[in-house]
Amino acid sequence: MIPGDFQPQRPTSRQMVKLGVLGVVALGVFVAIVLGLTFHISAWLGQPVVFARSEGPDQPIAFPHTTHVQELGMDCTFCHRNVEKEAAASVPATGLCMTCHSAVGDDLDEIEKMRSLYEDGRSIHWVRVHRVPDHVHFVHEAHIRYFSEKDGIEPSQVCQTCHGDVKEMEKVKQVETLKMGDCVSCHKENSAPTDCATCHY
Amino acid sequence: MALNRRQFLTLMGGSAGAAVFFQACGIPEKELLIDSPIEMPEDLVTGIDNWYATSCRQCDTAEGIVVRVMEGRAKKIEGNVDYPINVGKHSPRCEAGVQGLYHPDRISSPLVRTGPRGSGEYREISWEDAIGRLTNELQNLEASGDQSQAVLVTNPIGGHLGLVADKFADVFGARRFTYEPLETSVVRKALSDVFGQNAMPDFDIDNSDYLLSFGADFLSTWASPTRYSRGYGEFRQGHDHRGKLVHIDSRFSATAANADEWIRVNPGTEGLFALAVIQSIVSKGHISDSVVNALTGGDSGWLSTYSPENVSEEIGVTPETILHVGEDFSHSNHALAIGGGSAAAHSNGYASVKAIFSLNHVADNVGKKGGVILNPDSPIGGLEAAPSGNSFAEFQRLTEDMQSGTVKVLMVRGADLFYGLPDTSGFKGRSANVPMIVSFGGMMDDTTSMADLILPEHHYLEDWGTDIPLAGVGYELVGFQQPVVRPFFEDRGDNLGTKGFGDVLLAIAQVMQMDLGLNADTFKEVIRESARELYALRRGSINAPTFEAFWNGVLQRGGWWDVNAKGPSSAEPDRLDGISSPVITGSGEFNLMPFASASLLDGRNASLPWMQAMPDPISTATWQTWVEMNHKVAEERGIKEGDVVTVSASGRSITALAMPNPATPPDAVSIPFGQGHRDGGRYSAGRGGNLMAILDAVHDETTGALAWAANRVSVTPTGEWVRVPKFENTVPDFPRDEHNHVIELTSEDAH
Amino acid sequence: MADSQDRKWGMVVDIDRCTGCNGCVVACQSENNIPNNLEEHFNQRRAIQWIRIERYWEGEYPNVKARFIPVMCQQCGNAPCEPVCPVYATYHNEEGLNVQVYNRCIGTRFCANGCPYHVRFFNFWEPEWPESLKNQLNPDVTVRSRGIMEKCSFCVQRIRRSTREGERDEVQVEDGDRAISPACVNACPTTALTFGDFNNESSQVSMMKEEAMANRGKKEGRGYRLLDNLGTEANVIYLKKVDNSAGAVHGH
Repeated sequence: MIPGDFQPQRPTSRQMVKLGVLGVVALGVFVAIVLGLTFHISAWLGQPVVFARSEGPDQPIAFPHTTHVQELGMDCTFCHRNVEKEAAASVPATGLCMTCHSAVGDDLDEIEKMRSLYEDGRSIHWVRVHRVPDHVHFVHEAHIRYFSEKDGIEPSQVCQTCHGDVKEMEKVKQVETLKMGDCVSCHKENSAPTDCATCHY
Repeated sequence: MALNRRQFLTLMGGSAGAAVFFQACGIPEKELLIDSPIEMPEDLVTGIDNWYATSCRQCDTAEGIVVRVMEGRAKKIEGNVDYPINVGKHSPRCEAGVQGLYHPDRISSPLVRTGPRGSGEYREISWEDAIGRLTNELQNLEASGDQSQAVLVTNPIGGHLGLVADKFADVFGARRFTYEPLETSVVRKALSDVFGQNAMPDFDIDNSDYLLSFGADFLSTWASPTRYSRGYGEFRQGHDHRGKLVHIDSRFSATAANADEWIRVNPGTEGLFALAVIQSIVSKGHISDSVVNALTGGDSGWLSTYSPENVSEEIGVTPETILHVGEDFSHSNHALAIGGGSAAAHSNGYASVKAIFSLNHVADNVGKKGGVILNPDSPIGGLEAAPSGNSFAEFQRLTEDMQSGTVKVLMVRGADLFYGLPDTSGFKGRSANVPMIVSFGGMMDDTTSMADLILPEHHYLEDWGTDIPLAGVGYELVGFQQPVVRPFFEDRGDNLGTKGFGDVLLAIAQVMQMDLGLNADTFKEVIRESARELYALRRGSINAPTFEAFWNGVLQRGGWWDVNAKGPSSAEPDRLDGISSPVITGSGEFNLMPFASASLLDGRNASLPWMQAMPDPISTATWQTWVEMNHKVAEERGIKEGDVVTVSASGRSITALAMPNPATPPDAVSIPFGQGHRDGGRYSAGRGGNLMAILDAVHDETTGALAWAANRVSVTPTGEWVRVPKFENTVPDFPRDEHNHVIELTSEDAH
Repeated sequence: MADSQDRKWGMVVDIDRCTGCNGCVVACQSENNIPNNLEEHFNQRRAIQWIRIERYWEGEYPNVKARFIPVMCQQCGNAPCEPVCPVYATYHNEEGLNVQVYNRCIGTRFCANGCPYHVRFFNFWEPEWPESLKNQLNPDVTVRSRGIMEKCSFCVQRIRRSTREGERDEVQVEDGDRAISPACVNACPTTALTFGDFNNESSQVSMMKEEAMANRGKKEGRGYRLLDNLGTEANVIYLKKVDNSAGAVHGH
């Protein structure tokens, strides 16, 4: 043998088999990891909390809750009127805005935008901030009723449990993940039904 | 780990690919937007549901319905608990109204034909243009004094829409026709003669204890099936004593299936059976002389030719069967007799139905509990229930006029003449001689797709109307129809989209400066003005201090009625006629027993997928035309379920799928109406066979109505096989032995 | 919601009243966003009807009879479909309902395998509606996708909505109230279907059930359960069809 002359050993058939099996297993594990990661990452991709979109989405009309709630002291339920009656809290009609803004705010661009949409009879396409999937039938009314009775508080004060301190937000952003885990733990804490058919039907 | 550049790029590409892939499966962007409403109506908010009352127009019964509306969309139809006809119940057909409203094949603007007739080539035009074209033609006719060469054909319409249409035709001078594929004129004339009523009386099935029905499929499709079914439920289990239903029919209909006894008779002999029952009761002296005299004209001798012994052979039953029925009928406290349907669809139809309903005089149940309840007249002058259709004989004369060129403008609404008139009438061929065909249909059907000009009307959930019920409830009732949603094509603007038929007629009248004698510009106003008349009566179900409050009340409850404004409490019997043997045409070996499909009726509901998918009660078949034949006869001929067969009559034929069953008489086949549309939207076009087209022209002697149950057909296998779309399982559920009861039974004695 | 544990929903079906009209079938399809059953679906015997009318033949012509029986999920107390789901997508809740949770279902179809009444339906195809027909869909009911098992839920969305609205408006929801009754019950023209709370002794269904299941010597009630010998403890009581013709037998 010449020094430095390295002759690799030919693998035995046993080794080949072992390698083959290992290769297949590794491929399987790799695929599983990729799929799992993709699934989990995409499931969380929509979560503003995780990726800390600290500002919240841009809205077609830059409506500031700070002005209306903090400075003017308006109640949540003044605009989101449906929250004590039905499932959805509801975005108010442009007509409600116009009750004040037909007279107020002539110098502001956003109000001009809103007025022209109203006069044309076109709706404002608000970008949804809080969304649960279609198979969840979440009912605002029951929760508002429960908390305001239990804690003896005004309905408006219940809102921040899930929506955070909206009056501080120039642009509304989602602060809670609103994942099912949150719902179930709160239900358990408050002895509310944890029956699946409470929300999933 | 250390990655070289190649590996890094691969990884990036892979995960980017995955990200795009999963994004593509993600949430559609439109779900991430919330559109705010413009104005305040609080019932447009997500999640709130409101129920609005209106009238269903899926069939001629016009039940009172409430429609669940959420965010301006109609979601669900249910019966109106207040409305006297159906008292909260509704038929399966009512449900499909929401599918008609949102049907993808609705016509969304007036159309004018650009290709040859029947090619389906149309171009959109504005309402102004469309009305202008029609008024142009009508004014030409006016100028030459040929107004009678305009013909207006509609489905049977009453109430205010009927009023407007009739006035329009009358003032202009156009001929007015009403078209019904399955004519009610025979039954209505018989009822008019037997009970002295223009409309149909109510039948108190609820309180009856012996119900004898002939031919009429009243639990499924005849007259007012929901009301009768509600009564039937109570008839069975709502009282201490369970009622008995005996159904006499040549076919095993859904009503026959629910009867305690189905007596199978030869086609067209139902009236003979009834007359024989009357004879047996009269001969036993069970009824008063005055009634006998009225029925027989003073001399009951001629009646003996119709004794059970004499007619039983022609009917196809034993004399004992007839005598037994006569015994039971005359010994019941609340016996009731109903007839119609196939019993009326023969050459002897009128005389037969007259005999059948006269049984009620024999039972002396007119105006009594469990019997025939007569109806009062309409509370509003000039407002009537829908008329019966013009007879088939009259339509044959119309086609002759078409042939001779004296029909210049044919205006059609709700009447699918190209589909429903049998080919023997020659209507289709002769329509080429009509220069202008105008249709008011909201969807394509066989007639609308042949029209030169289409003025699409609103769906009934978008429109106004009133209804004077044909089959009333024993007291005054006016149903009110209101729009429950904005018109679906509203966004297309005022010059496109659909318009209500009543409004279109009023608009045409305005353009042509015709004075219809109605002091209103819109159809809604016409109805409102009439409602003032009701308000002025100061009685009835709505008690209100002002007219506005009254109007709101009427719309809220779906109508106005007065339970104290009843009809007559008795009627004089009319002299019975002799009944001739039925004329059966055709040389085929099977008696053809057609029937109105429980879901499609006479074909009007074929465009609605829920109706196509609703299984027929007897066969559970859907989506196709099938031929029910006796399973033993089928076996002898080597015909099995699914064999494509040709059914021939009057020299024409259709193909259908064989469906052997144990209940069809061996000498007959049973085929549903309803399919075979050339056009009608994606769910009905080109599907099944049109039985109406091949019927031969046999008329009822008295009224000229089409005797649609009077054909014989031949059935020939074509050698092909198609799986029958049906709901039950593939293995035929034919009874294997006499005592095989899958459904648990009990006899009343155990109670 | 607090008293949902006290309820036990059930139905009584009177076969003597049922005419087989299919009103309940169409009403259910309208209420529950059931996909349109097209011709291919029937041809493959995979049409979805949460409540169906079964028609049975008896006898030979001319003494032939057809019997109609509406069958929906029996909401069995001892359901064969519940223990077999690998992901616990179906279970029995405290109101006596057999709940199907659409978002958990992975489509093994083991539950349908176990159901002796064949009331469970699988979405073999992706349900599709033309765009305009989607306006009719009921927002209170989840629209299922392909691969999901579904079945009659006694219109639990109506139970939830009317209970909630009753609590909100401080109004007691009455027994037999149309708002809480399933679509099929409201649709039936002959009043063959009755729905209510078996735990409430004075409810219509309880009284009917008691009378029906009574077996007091000479007077026997008409009530029975379907396939009772399988021990499923169905919460739907059927009332026997009455047949007074000579030799009416008590069938099995």
